[in-house]
Amino acid sequence: MRKFRKILIANRGEIACRIIWTCKEMGISTVAVHSTADRDSLHVRFADESVCIGEATSAQSYLNIPSVIAAAEITNVDAIHPGYGFLAESAYFAEICEACNIKFIGPRPDVIRLMGDKVEARRAMKEAGLSILPGSSEPLKTEQEARAIAREVGYPVIIKASAGGGGRGMRVVRTEEELSSAMQTASTEAAAAFKNGDIYIERFIENPRHIEIQVLADEHGHCIHLGERDCSLQRRHQKILEEAPSPALSQELREQMGAAAVAACQRVGYSSAGTIEFLLDERGHFYFMEMNTRIQVEHPVTEMITLADIVRNQILVAEGAPLWYTQPDVLFVGHSIECRINAEDPYTFTPSPGRITSYNAPGGPGVRLDTAAYAGYVVPPFYDSLIAKLIVHARTREVAIARMRRALEVMVIEGIKTTIPLHREIMEDAHFRAGEYSTKFMEQFFERRRGAGAALEAAARRAV
Amino acid sequence: MSSTNDQNQGHGGGGQGQGTGTGTAAAPQSEGGGGERGQRHGRGRHRGRQPARTPSPQGQPRRGESTLNMDELRELTELFSAHGLTDFEFENADIRIRLSRNPAPAAGAPAAASAPSPQPAAAMHAAASAAQTSAGASAAAPAADESAPDAEDLHIITSPIVGTFYRAPSPPAEPFVVSGSRVEPDTVVCIIEAMKLMNEIQAETSGVVEKIYVENGQPVEYGQPLFGVKK
Repeated sequence: MRKFRKILIANRGEIACRIIWTCKEMGISTVAVHSTADRDSLHVRFADESVCIGEATSAQSYLNIPSVIAAAEITNVDAIHPGYGFLAESAYFAEICEACNIKFIGPRPDVIRLMGDKVEARRAMKEAGLSILPGSSEPLKTEQEARAIAREVGYPVIIKASAGGGGRGMRVVRTEEELSSAMQTASTEAAAAFKNGDIYIERFIENPRHIEIQVLADEHGHCIHLGERDCSLQRRHQKILEEAPSPALSQELREQMGAAAVAACQRVGYSSAGTIEFLLDERGHFYFMEMNTRIQVEHPVTEMITLADIVRNQILVAEGAPLWYTQPDVLFVGHSIECRINAEDPYTFTPSPGRITSYNAPGGPGVRLDTAAYAGYVVPPFYDSLIAKLIVHARTREVAIARMRRALEVMVIEGIKTTIPLHREIMEDAHFRAGEYSTKFMEQFFERRRGAGAALEAAARRAV
Repeated sequence: MSSTNDQNQGHGGGGQGQGTGTGTAAAPQSEGGGGERGQRHGRGRHRGRQPARTPSPQGQPRRGESTLNMDELRELTELFSAHGLTDFEFENADIRIRLSRNPAPAAGAPAAASAPSPQPAAAMHAAASAAQTSAGASAAAPAADESAPDAEDLHIITSPIVGTFYRAPSPPAEPFVVSGSRVEPDTVVCIIEAMKLMNEIQAETSGVVEKIYVENGQPVEYGQPLFGVKK
């Protein structure tokens, strides 16, 4: 066991701040690294030390391994927390940290590598007892092979990138005629995004829910789960809103999915925090999708209902401590919802970087805001558009929705466009309020919206 | 007023120091969420501000004009260092004194020149803009020269990588360049060590080295000013 004196956060924005907050609580010194574009960032301001590591683009700065490692060396840190995105799932980076005697806060490099290869991960998880969607167990070599598998699995099918995630390199195919071109475009997209054009194929579920299980494991073989998150509200495979617990899960199903996730983690020797993503079909069957070997954007909703601090647990695990709690110790209290506030047009989703001229943060009972934004902050155009996560917690889902509505109403960010108006509309939506939705929700929501807009326009014309 | 390179606080201490008793130290929070950003590689910023119209230093004869008591001024800078402040301003009807750990941009100092602490701070400047007295002016003169190097045009060589700065190829050897050295674009001016690799940094410009902003063995970040070269 080795207590950390100082940690470098290899990230930026809200998650860098989030990690710094917990480090401050634990009495651990922090080092922020930043690009030239992020000099005035909140994480730079509040870390104990900061090091500029390169020019604005991610490749020159946050993904620049030599620069990040050099910064860790000159500040003499004990460990690096990679956050999410950037180098968080780079097995190579984790190996370099190890070689430089800096503790990488996350699982071992070989486990990261295994889960990073989607085809291998499916194989490993299947062996560990999880159901996977019927499909190819190897990357596809020929169109003929693909056609044969698709026939066996049954249309519709989906083509996915082996090295991928985040919705890229994916194509849904409903008929055999579409298969050939879909394979080509998916492979090209995958090669561009992940430098690996390998694709595989699996059955496509029409109205699934995206349910993910948060796991936590120490380096001594103990593993627990902290329940599920429902992340079905997605637009082009980007999550918009998440909640815990899922309105679709019974206690029995939760226990089933949780136990399956824990067993799988133990089989592969997982450690630190991680998330296993499942697709849940309408009959309560759940299928392994992928595992994310890092802390996730939406981790706060889990923290709210379990009173856990996942970052804190990651640090303790990395220090070598055994998990302090067992599964029966995990409490689930109330309901939590998170809205991702992006610097984007709420309906066209075009990015909206620029200066925040006016800012008010909501507070009050059961409200948490994870953000790096502030009045006067200039949202840079070089990175993703997430600028804040608004999270609420309440005893019931009904109150949580009312609370989110209230918090969104008084949250002010002016000078740039944000997705706050979109979230306010979602809170009013009857299907969302009833908890009845699948991954098709956003598509249907926009359709309803267009329909409502057209009807209103027509009525207005009639009136005049 | 001479500059002092003393750094009184330890490395990576973190947290916020307290301003001195004189004047009000404006807490960083009150400057708004985005106001002043934290000291690079160190603690937060503090401003100590004296109210205007404070009487002249004790025991100093009034001559109908303001004078600067050099002893008091020296003590002031020592107090400034001891409390780890980064900015201090004092103003009365006749005189304005400003101490800053970071050279004021207006003085034309190299851009982004704040050195990461705990290394010796960049030169502290006392830019006293006395309303009228020659005594005040002459006291300010050495400082003024110090704080306005850039009446001339210096090309700043900045660090292209993160690492540790070394002036010579090896400890016993002579430095690659000194103040006054002539450089060409491919002249090696220093070594920056990162991950056990010694990277030779070239001048990439022609001219004469006039300023050296970092010390041997000092950690440097990307973009940090290393040398000022007069073309």
